[in-house]
Amino acid sequence: MQQGGNVERRTILKAAGASLAVAGIGATATACGGDSGSGDGTVELRYAWWGGEPRTIAIKKTIALFEKKFPKIKIKPEFTDYEAFWEKFQTQASGGNPPDVFQNAVGFLRKYDKRGVLLDLKAQADAGNLSLDNFRNGVLANGQVDGKQIAVPVGANTMALVIDLKAFEKAGVEAQFGWTWDEYFAALQTIQDKLKIAGDTGYFSIMYLYDLYLRQNGKAFFTDSDLGFTEDDLTQWWEDGYKRVKSGLVADPKKVEQAKPKSALSAGLAASEFTWDNFSIRYEGEGESDYGLAPIPTTDGKDTGQYLGSLMLSAFSGTKHPKEVAQFIDFMVHDPEVGEIMGYDRGILATTEQYDAFKPADANNKGVAAYEDEVAKAGVLGKITPHPSGADVIEAAFLRIGGEVAQGKTKPADAAKALFSEAKAAFAG
Amino acid sequence: MTLVKEAPARPAGKRSAAPAAGRRGRRRENLAGYLFMSPWIAGFLLLTAGPMIASLYYAFTSYNLFTPPRWIGLDNFTTMFQDPRWQKSVEVTLKYVVVATPLKLLLALGVALLLAQRRRGQGLYRAAFYMPSLIGASVSVGFVWRALFSDDAVVDRTQKIFGLDVGGWIGNPDYVIYALVALSIWQFGAPMVIFLAGLKQVPQELYEAAEMDGAGPLRRFWNVTLPMISPVLFFNVLLESIHAFQVFGSAYVVSDTRCGPADATLVYTCYLYQKGFKEAQMGFASAMAWTLVIAVALVTAVLFWSQKKWVHYEEAAK
Amino acid sequence: MTSATTSPALSAAKGRRRHGSIVWHVGALAVLAVVLYPVIWVIGASFKPSKDIIASLDLLPTAPVWENFSGLADGISGISIGSFFWNSLMYAVLAVIGVVLSSSLTAYAFAKIRFAGRNLLFTLMIGTLLLPYHVLLIPQYVLFRNLELTDTLVPLVAGKFLATEAFFVFLMVQFMRGLPRELDEAAKLDGCGHLRTYWSIVLPLSRPAIITSAIFTFINAWNDFMGPLIYLNTPEKYTVSLGLMMFRDQEGVSNYGSMIAMSLVALVPVVAFFMAFQRYLIDGMATSGLKG
Repeated sequence: MQQGGNVERRTILKAAGASLAVAGIGATATACGGDSGSGDGTVELRYAWWGGEPRTIAIKKTIALFEKKFPKIKIKPEFTDYEAFWEKFQTQASGGNPPDVFQNAVGFLRKYDKRGVLLDLKAQADAGNLSLDNFRNGVLANGQVDGKQIAVPVGANTMALVIDLKAFEKAGVEAQFGWTWDEYFAALQTIQDKLKIAGDTGYFSIMYLYDLYLRQNGKAFFTDSDLGFTEDDLTQWWEDGYKRVKSGLVADPKKVEQAKPKSALSAGLAASEFTWDNFSIRYEGEGESDYGLAPIPTTDGKDTGQYLGSLMLSAFSGTKHPKEVAQFIDFMVHDPEVGEIMGYDRGILATTEQYDAFKPADANNKGVAAYEDEVAKAGVLGKITPHPSGADVIEAAFLRIGGEVAQGKTKPADAAKALFSEAKAAFAG
Repeated sequence: MTLVKEAPARPAGKRSAAPAAGRRGRRRENLAGYLFMSPWIAGFLLLTAGPMIASLYYAFTSYNLFTPPRWIGLDNFTTMFQDPRWQKSVEVTLKYVVVATPLKLLLALGVALLLAQRRRGQGLYRAAFYMPSLIGASVSVGFVWRALFSDDAVVDRTQKIFGLDVGGWIGNPDYVIYALVALSIWQFGAPMVIFLAGLKQVPQELYEAAEMDGAGPLRRFWNVTLPMISPVLFFNVLLESIHAFQVFGSAYVVSDTRCGPADATLVYTCYLYQKGFKEAQMGFASAMAWTLVIAVALVTAVLFWSQKKWVHYEEAAK
Repeated sequence: MTSATTSPALSAAKGRRRHGSIVWHVGALAVLAVVLYPVIWVIGASFKPSKDIIASLDLLPTAPVWENFSGLADGISGISIGSFFWNSLMYAVLAVIGVVLSSSLTAYAFAKIRFAGRNLLFTLMIGTLLLPYHVLLIPQYVLFRNLELTDTLVPLVAGKFLATEAFFVFLMVQFMRGLPRELDEAAKLDGCGHLRTYWSIVLPLSRPAIITSAIFTFINAWNDFMGPLIYLNTPEKYTVSLGLMMFRDQEGVSNYGSMIAMSLVALVPVVAFFMAFQRYLIDGMATSGLKG
């Protein structure tokens, strides 16, 4: 079909159940624009995301807003939790039946690009259906792979250290910008000595933290198609980690495991934990103490290795309505009202329109905003490094094998070997 | 129990019928048989045999769901046998089967013996004992189990009374499997009901006769009950072993979905699920599944072979 | 036993029996207490504040709260709790109907009709008992997707209507074999066809086996997680088991309180169904196990 065909087509079908009539008429699996228009021109898009209840309620509001402004487009929401989302997505996508628009994350871009699932939104942007302007701090690049725009960021987040404020205060230690790993572990030691609790919950099993550490040392976790470090690097990292478990600086992995699904930090087993800054809301909800965001320790006293990651929206390459999909994404990332509704649930709002529209009111959101501000001001934000296909599998393997090291079930050298062998399989998959 | 002798092949009164009619009758029986069977046949072809053949094919391919399966011969199997996680999953599963199945059947039989006596409130007791099996492997069971088997919780305190101090089981790779076993034992309702059904059918006269001979309760159990219910016992052993090999849900909820810590609850199907649905290695997963099928078939064959030695079937039941 | 017992002996026997009865009840209750402890924990947990549920050591809440239950009235993520229950009920009821109809038809053929190839098919059917369902999952998914039947109940219940649950077929076959052959011989002499014999004689007599299958089917469908997870996409079509997962939030604050409360409420229909029919359970199993 021709581009720019926004003409309502009443010619084909005038079915009573308009929403049912969307089914494949004149479907094109390419991104060349043009809709397949049904009876009265109404199209239905499936929109899927993962997340908890607050996110779902907020998104549903934004959908209502969108449908009001675009009465010809109906949105059918699908939502579950993270784990179920990706399992479902995989089975659906393999069957050529994924949702038209869906939430996406950096670790999955290449994987599904390689499998031909993701729509290059550049064509739609060129056609004027989607604006790629006004993204803050260059986060738009997070959705680019090999020159294609296969995802559009809705928010920006970064790794952070969440600390138990009361514990830090009681022990008389302070987290400072630019502190080194030695200073960080010394602080944990003080906490352990004074409060008899561990300092950390198991930092060495978090792939994204190791990534920061590597970046501080001029490397990165991934290259375009491989791991960006050596088996020896990892052996060292895990040996240090295990030493700290044995000395009690890192919480007993048995207790950490047992506290799940609660985090060991909110369970009071340790005084700090590394995670994404926009996840930090969970600690207040789960734990008894007060929690705050603290800077990532550094190697050289300056560079934290941090970068802005993103939750994004992607579209299915085989969607029958690429134009409407683009319009929808455009609305979701640029509309100020949407920004006001969503807040920082999926990270700091990615576009200036939305960022300006939302004024954080509660302590958590304010904290997150201040944190990213501070990081940005420190000028340490680097560029995101590649996440090859298989990154998601490797992240899970890193967590699992790191856990085995912590439990003393696998020697660091064997563990590193195991990770490399699993990574090889994951890249090939 | 109704003891029925197989009826003679042809009704005696109809012997005068011509052989042609007999053939027609047989054809009609065939037709009726297949008509009645048609749902099953459709289901078997469509939902069982077809998918089985497909997965058998996948087992010899590299298949990530997206690109068409690529034939790689026995590679999946050789990789699998060398894969330390696969070996671990076999070890975990065998441990689970060997420990959980007998204990579960023992408890089921014990409670069934208790409930087989005619007492007031029997139905209520039966329902109450069945309760755990109604809950299934739901998320709340996961929470309870994780809570009960944590440090300082009821199990930990109880074991300390007996001088055992290993701490909570949930976070300990060496013990968490027993928490899983406990969950399996806890849900003993189905074998209990089957035992009850078996016990109900032991002729009362046999007990009375044994009592006349001066046999005590233990002797009566050993000489009367056990032989009489041995077919039921066999059936339960068979069913529960097969189930134990395929356990998934309980490992999934008890370990908070990861079948850990340190792969300590990585039962076979959990690994299969991770490989297939999380990593999309369908070829590998299919090879795993078929290996499991063969293993279960072997175990079944051994059980059937062994039943000649210890299962007593009544003559009339044929 | 014998009518010639003298009265003191009789009362002694009675006394012994009463004594035995007390011992029996005490023993049964003791075992029951252990068995039901986790159930009581769940009930207790449903009255604890959401924060206190994970890794909570106490059996009962210190200060019971109602918020977990009252919170259910608001639904989750804009979907009413009733919708989950309705979907689960539809699934379970359809599954029961499907299993009862198809399995009894198949079982009748195996038990009562002598047709060529019967033994082979019976062996095949028993063989399917051994299959781990994971083997079939992906090819089945591909099949239903090609038929455009995902996001409906069809993939979940199709197997039930096509007698793929070998265990129930087996159960019914064994039961029907145990029915006196004279009955259907008589029916045949009266000129009844197989359909009539099945419908008016064998089916009613097989009630215990049918109800037993129905109970198990209902429980399994009600608790099924994997099936709905794979096939249902629209949250409004989710069953209770999927709905429960919606209280979870890996990135934010999970509402474990309402999750536990809902899982408790979800127990009510299964327990009710079980209580209503459990007296048939033993009879239904009765003839099945005894023959190899």
